[in-house]
Amino acid sequence: MTPVLQVRAVLALAQREFKGYFESPAAYVAMVVFYLVSGYLFTATLFLSNMATISGLAEAMPLLLTFLVPALTMGLLSEELKSGTFETLATLPLEDWDIALGKFLGFCGVHLVTVAGLAFYPVLLRLLAAPGAGLDWGEASGILLGLLLMGLMYGAIGLFASSLSRSQVVSFVIAFLFCFIFFMAGNLARFAPGAASTLMEFVGVDSHLDTLAKGVLDTRDLLYFASITFAFLYLTVVRLQSRRL
Amino acid sequence: MIRAEKLTKRFGDITAVDGLDFEIQVGQIVGFLGPNGAGKTTTMRMLTAYLPADQGRAVVMDLDVAEHPLEVRRRLGYLPENNPLHENLEVTDALHFVGRLRGLYDDKARTERVKAVVKTCGLGGVAGRKTGELSKGYRQRLGLAQAIIHDPDVLVLDEPTSGLDPNQVHEVRDLIRELKKEKTLLLSTHILSEVQAVCDRVIILNAGRIAADGTPDELSGSLQNKNRLHLSLKGPRDTVRSALASIPGASSVAGPAAWGKVSDAFVVESEASVDLREEVFRLASSKGWPIMHLSIEQLSLEEVFRKLTGSAEAGPGEGAS
Repeated sequence: MTPVLQVRAVLALAQREFKGYFESPAAYVAMVVFYLVSGYLFTATLFLSNMATISGLAEAMPLLLTFLVPALTMGLLSEELKSGTFETLATLPLEDWDIALGKFLGFCGVHLVTVAGLAFYPVLLRLLAAPGAGLDWGEASGILLGLLLMGLMYGAIGLFASSLSRSQVVSFVIAFLFCFIFFMAGNLARFAPGAASTLMEFVGVDSHLDTLAKGVLDTRDLLYFASITFAFLYLTVVRLQSRRL
Repeated sequence: MIRAEKLTKRFGDITAVDGLDFEIQVGQIVGFLGPNGAGKTTTMRMLTAYLPADQGRAVVMDLDVAEHPLEVRRRLGYLPENNPLHENLEVTDALHFVGRLRGLYDDKARTERVKAVVKTCGLGGVAGRKTGELSKGYRQRLGLAQAIIHDPDVLVLDEPTSGLDPNQVHEVRDLIRELKKEKTLLLSTHILSEVQAVCDRVIILNAGRIAADGTPDELSGSLQNKNRLHLSLKGPRDTVRSALASIPGASSVAGPAAWGKVSDAFVVESEASVDLREEVFRLASSKGWPIMHLSIEQLSLEEVFRKLTGSAEAGPGEGAS
């Protein structure tokens, strides 16, 4: 049976989840860390290299997301499983897809808002830079898009990890491990022999982020993020269904 | 309407629910009674399409639960065991949230419903409070309110009064009685007085099977192997005693002794199939002894319950532990 999404129920769930982030310190703490680090990276590059670019963000933000996203997603399902509210959700007229997507979209909202905040930097540069200094908008938007897509992919991984355990800590560790593998695969690719290197290069998130950070929109990269995101959403649903057996 | 046909659920080697067959008519209020681990919760989870059955089938409002899980869940209100709630929501927000997920998308209509259930469940005073700050009694009312927000035809309540103090139990029971007027209701409990207080019918579960099924009165009647008549006649004690003993069918006579508010009470025992009340009346009227008291002792549901479900715990070899 093909599941038909109950869009309004999914949105209701997403909205609740989104609000929930801002009712607890979680989202604020994550955002503060996110902007502190990004602010440092931005100003450091700006003053050290004296260039109107936000390319500094592309350097360390991926590693930061590897920590932050699992922290934001760890409670999505594990908390419901622990408190038993999952039984309430699962006995409402909702498909498992509705539940997984609703939760995921709630996180997407928070991540979108966070990344959108980074747009402050290029806008600032545009205002401050000498006329003709030429901010590369393609590069800037590529970096932001890259961080956005990477966060969504990590979010799907985190959601899946959250469905695996009633413990938020366990969920965090599992999510972090998965995210770290995707993060490191690209970095370690050069040490691997031949074909393995190419494979690791492709599996790793780095190569795809790099292309985007150059301002190049390649469908292969978009497909990479989309397919891994979808794969982990799918795994989440499989996991939720297996809980009912 | 709820129907279970050979409903079975296994967890590994353990058969939690073992071929249950029962049917609950529209408008009936049925109590699932049984010791912990008897299969009450598992059965309810199968009826609410939370767990799939291994064998057999469950039917709710003429819909097969396995084939139409969403439709069944739409028609059904469910209060899970331990009443899990989203702790950081305010009471009205929690109701709106569940309402939206239940398909009450229209803001105005939903607000009306929320108001109605807040009133029905007596949540008016705590409407703006966080769920996590509510007392157990109010939590339970909120759980019930969430379960009836969509005005379901069928309500399944898993231990709706567990963990409440006597006053709260009373309040929640009143609420359930209020609800039962229009709905088919299945509730589980291990508190016997609850069943006697609110249920039309009792299904006693033990080790995943039905140990007994009937009205509270039928159950207490069916398990008695003796009929006990408590009576008091105004007459010379010794003569009364020997006259009672001579009634055909009377197997033993005890007393006179004080029994509650009745002084000079006799207890006359007979076979379960024999009703001595008419004989006692004839005797009393022929002798001119006014009948001051006459009643048949009923085995309490508690005793029925212990007789039916006690064997598992107090069986041979385990009694010593």
